[in-house]
Amino acid sequence: MGGANNKNCELVGTTMIPYRISYWHIQPAWIFYLLAAVAVGIFIFGLITHVSVWIKGIKRQAIHLSWSGTSNLLLDGLLGLRIFRGDIAAGTIHLLILWGFSGLFVGTVLISVDYWLHHFLKGSVYLWYSTCLEIVGLMLLVGLVWSLIRRYLQHVPRLERRLEDLTVVVLLFVVVLSGFMVEGLRLAAQRPDWALWSFAGHWMSLLWTNHHQGALSIYPYVWWAHALLSLGLIAFIPYSKLFHMLAAPASIYLENQPLQAIPVETRGQDDEVFSYRDMIFFDACTRCGRCVEACPSTGAGEPFAPRDFIVWTRNDLLMKYHPLNHFDWFTNWIKRRHTREHVFDTQKIWYCTTCRACLDVCPVYVATPDTIRQARGKVVEEGIQVPSLLTQTLKNLYKYNNPWEATKKKRAKRSQDLEIPDLSKGEEAKGLCYFVGCTTSMDIRAQELARSFARILKHAQIPFAILGNKEPCCGDIARRAGEDGLFEKQMEDSVELLGRYGIRDVVTSSPHCFHTFRNEYPAFQALKPAEERLELRVRHYTMLLRELVTAGSLRLERPLNVKVTYHDPCYLGRHNRIFDAPREIIAAIPGVEMVEMAHNRANSLCCGGGGGRIWQEDLDADVNMAEIRIREAEAAGAEIIITACPLCLIMLEDARKTSSLEYAVRVMDLNELVATALSPPVLGGENHECCGMRKTGS
Amino acid sequence: MNVVVCVKQVPEVTDAELEINKEGIGILKEDLEFDINEWDNYAVEEAVRIKEAHGGKVIVITLGDEDSEDVLRVALAMGADEAIRIDEEAFELSDAAGIAQGLYHVIRDLSFDLLLTGAQSSDYGWGQVGPILAELLGLPYASLVVGIEIDEGKMIVHRELESNTQEKVEIPLPAVLTIQTGINNPRYVSIMGIQKVRKIEIKETDSGELGLSEEEIGLMGSCVASQELSLPAVGEGAKILTGSLNEICEKTAQIIRDKAGVI
Amino acid sequence: MDDILVLAEHRNGELRDITFEMLTLANKLSRENNLAVTALFLGHEVSDLSERLKCACDRVILMEDPELANYSADPYLMAMETVIKDRKPMLTMIGHTAIGMDLAPAMTARLALPLVTDCVEVTLEDGRLKVLREIYGGKINAQLAMKPSDQYLISLRTGSFAAEAEQGKSGNVETVPAPAWTNLKGRRFLGYLEAELEDVDIEAADILVSIGRGIGKPENIPLAQDFADSIGATLACSRPVADEEWLPKSRQVGTSGKTVRPKIYIALGISGAYQHQVGMKNADTIIAVNTDPRAPIFNIAHYGIVADLLKVLPLLREEFVKK
Repeated sequence: MGGANNKNCELVGTTMIPYRISYWHIQPAWIFYLLAAVAVGIFIFGLITHVSVWIKGIKRQAIHLSWSGTSNLLLDGLLGLRIFRGDIAAGTIHLLILWGFSGLFVGTVLISVDYWLHHFLKGSVYLWYSTCLEIVGLMLLVGLVWSLIRRYLQHVPRLERRLEDLTVVVLLFVVVLSGFMVEGLRLAAQRPDWALWSFAGHWMSLLWTNHHQGALSIYPYVWWAHALLSLGLIAFIPYSKLFHMLAAPASIYLENQPLQAIPVETRGQDDEVFSYRDMIFFDACTRCGRCVEACPSTGAGEPFAPRDFIVWTRNDLLMKYHPLNHFDWFTNWIKRRHTREHVFDTQKIWYCTTCRACLDVCPVYVATPDTIRQARGKVVEEGIQVPSLLTQTLKNLYKYNNPWEATKKKRAKRSQDLEIPDLSKGEEAKGLCYFVGCTTSMDIRAQELARSFARILKHAQIPFAILGNKEPCCGDIARRAGEDGLFEKQMEDSVELLGRYGIRDVVTSSPHCFHTFRNEYPAFQALKPAEERLELRVRHYTMLLRELVTAGSLRLERPLNVKVTYHDPCYLGRHNRIFDAPREIIAAIPGVEMVEMAHNRANSLCCGGGGGRIWQEDLDADVNMAEIRIREAEAAGAEIIITACPLCLIMLEDARKTSSLEYAVRVMDLNELVATALSPPVLGGENHECCGMRKTGS
Repeated sequence: MNVVVCVKQVPEVTDAELEINKEGIGILKEDLEFDINEWDNYAVEEAVRIKEAHGGKVIVITLGDEDSEDVLRVALAMGADEAIRIDEEAFELSDAAGIAQGLYHVIRDLSFDLLLTGAQSSDYGWGQVGPILAELLGLPYASLVVGIEIDEGKMIVHRELESNTQEKVEIPLPAVLTIQTGINNPRYVSIMGIQKVRKIEIKETDSGELGLSEEEIGLMGSCVASQELSLPAVGEGAKILTGSLNEICEKTAQIIRDKAGVI
Repeated sequence: MDDILVLAEHRNGELRDITFEMLTLANKLSRENNLAVTALFLGHEVSDLSERLKCACDRVILMEDPELANYSADPYLMAMETVIKDRKPMLTMIGHTAIGMDLAPAMTARLALPLVTDCVEVTLEDGRLKVLREIYGGKINAQLAMKPSDQYLISLRTGSFAAEAEQGKSGNVETVPAPAWTNLKGRRFLGYLEAELEDVDIEAADILVSIGRGIGKPENIPLAQDFADSIGATLACSRPVADEEWLPKSRQVGTSGKTVRPKIYIALGISGAYQHQVGMKNADTIIAVNTDPRAPIFNIAHYGIVADLLKVLPLLREEFVKK
């Protein structure tokens, strides 16, 4: 792109040293600097408006050097790897645009350096420089045109067609095109020998082959046009999607930062629920819609989509904190956008299952599950828009130490027949502590999971004990619902209890408990003095089973002759990246053929039970999420769908009953499968369907 | 619009196994959780909504022991402004009329437009306090209210009748209403919410301060001479009927007839 | 005068069942204690209704006035006050209904009479009243002995007492004038609101026959419907059946359907998952039929039948059709 100066005019074509004259034939140059200053000023103001929203967020989120954050930044910031997922065209387009734009930007910087500091762009350096710029400029053009084709001609569903989308692309396109025109006109006028190095400009210049004077005369106009457009582009950046150029790298890097624990009593009365990190997430969102494609709630026809939530919250925050929000025209404009664009309201935040599918696919790492949780926190404090079933559940948790509305006495009842050392009864703690969990203790179907696991441990002669009636609730449901006060209370109770019994090694039934103990407790524990902290080794049962299988402690000798598929629970798979352990266990069972469903591993489809949804049944959906999963299992040809989470077990089992496939696919927990394969078999033929079709009335 | 709400702390019994105390006149409460009476919860929510719509303040009153301050805190966290507790000491073994007397002696000194109570409480279920208070205060009243519309000094309320019918009733203010469940969706009260109202002072009083004599309240004032509690004769879990299918069906038919009344 | 006064309850031109339940009890007590039974009929242009009570009591007192056409607290209070002060009945009975819950407590305050509400059993011996009440949600029975008094006021739970319309009596109807309506406090009855009927309101039913997945296919539903008809029950269902749209959603019982508290809940082929239990566990009597003896429904049912509902239904129906 051009610059202008008065140093060297007319020194063209006669010397053998290729270079380019800045500000050639452009006067008065100072106007350009003035305009540039204005543009930069507008840019800075825009930047300030963003930052002024960010600083209203909770600041207690530290930023550390993080290797994975950096690698994400390089891979997704520089290469846009996530954009390629499932859509190679999109990845390519973005790479073209990103590198094209960056290349041109660097080129401009180099020209300024060349002009103001040290004239180095001459000779072969200059020739390579100009060719490179041609290439990146063309890359950018191709990328832009292709993106328009995809958005407006191919109508890719997740892409929106808003005015802003068109404006940004067209503006960029015109800037680059005009840049080539300027170059073409200059080359037509100057006709340097090295014109071919700037091949695209050279082709442009062919338009004015015999009109060098004409080219020269219109050159300044086009130059100014290009300059104005470029400056306009710069100024426009913070006011449009282009801002993601700045926000996205921040967002990508920050997502990886460990979550700061902010205890409720340290929060101020008027503190925003979001941290500045969350605010940056909202700003980084480019509305690409990958989250919408990945979201199981949207897929089930529910009125929820992550993008809607992000955009709605962003508009909300703008209305609250933007420096211009004193002006009615501004707030009215935002409000109109609010209502026109996406229909979203507070009640819909309860649809999210916190499955993390959106975060996994988001190219800018917007941590929607976290922000949904914060948003819920605000609603929970006000209390009015909490779904009544969830209100009841949280109250039950507070009173009865479990969300299932049962008295504490009932907790250990079912395991009485299994002769497990019960720490609450004063029996000695040996070996590990099996943390059964609320759902597994209370729900009749899920209790089978515990029974099977207990029997497996006995078979493998692993000493363990349970907490019986004293077992606390890890607080996961309170955390997902945004009731941090209740979560912290549960956490304190749990920590106190585990500490009291001297428990250091815990194996859980539920991936939710596992996740909460492993990933959320430590941040809060870190706030305490070292001697008060809970040091806990926590594993999910699949991790233990895998160790046992590898060590040969489990004699899996009964061939089962059955075809199964494995449903990756969100909190085991996506949240904690444990995909292989369960599969290895299944592979170790003789006679079991394992088929994968269409969505597996990190792509697994949520069963719909997370995020507090297992306690809410009055949500508006076209199809039941768990039913979609059952049908996938059927499509994969599986006889049994195996899962490793009590919530998934219940959701899938319920869906199996309502789908008309009751007798086609059975639902089992991995423990139940393993227990059946042990030799001698450890299931006493009770309330159990495994091999052999046993009909249950329901 | 100033609203006064009478609330009560009751034990949660839905899933609990209840045991009767040695004397046979009460249940053992050590293992039980306590909470605000469900009907009263709806009443507090309704009062707060009225305040949010019409301005004014909400005062909640309870008659109970120190622990019952918890329900007052819940009400304050929901949006009530002031709380009063009448210590229950002299009121033990009162009947509903005795309880109402205690409440009346506090309420008559308050200035309010509307007095709300729950239609009944889940422990004894007398369902009397509201209308008795209305009589003592000389105010119009309506019970089993499931809907309230307030318009300039009078109200139109919906009362819930049997068989899914309701009736519309007009009542002038000030008045007393007893609230039926389902009138609204009570808001959730978070832990933090309770923390925030921790510092609000709860006024305390007792029968002595209120000038109530033994004869008016407590056992002496009650119309009940004695009570004896017992567990109903139902075993846990279903009684599985045995015999041939025909015999089972005969037995079942008999059960249905017994339980339904005349068929 | 020593008699038992029963407030007859009526609405929209029909006598309500509680009236006969109370009269039956009153007659039983009167026989045991040598008392007379008086029915009190308050209303407007209801003399033909009051005639129907003649066979059930010794005397019918009829008070007619436009103010009494539909129940409203103040006129009814004043009417009761007038009659009770005049007749001084030993025992006054009111139903524990929408009317009784409204009226009885105000009466106890105005007339200074001992009141015990929601009784399920009543005995009267030597002038001492003893009642049985259910407390703590029906989990505890409380036997109350009342202090001696010349007059008592009680309200009776509906459906707790047998009702026999024909008591073999022939009372006279005595018309009494209404009092002057002074001190009406401004409450006015405006009208009734019928709720929009979906098709049937399962919450209002006394007996529910509820079907679950065990019904197998929609073709089997008429079996359940026939049985329900034979006992005057309403058909309800659990979630899977509503989801399949074999029955309308208005019939669904459970967390996402309705919560019901019928006298009898017959669960057919319902496993009794938590979400369903929440909607029906407070039914007075639960009878469950399921082929699986471990089905959770058996934990909360009072009576259980481990058998195929398709076999049980026709047999059960016969029990009610032939008798």
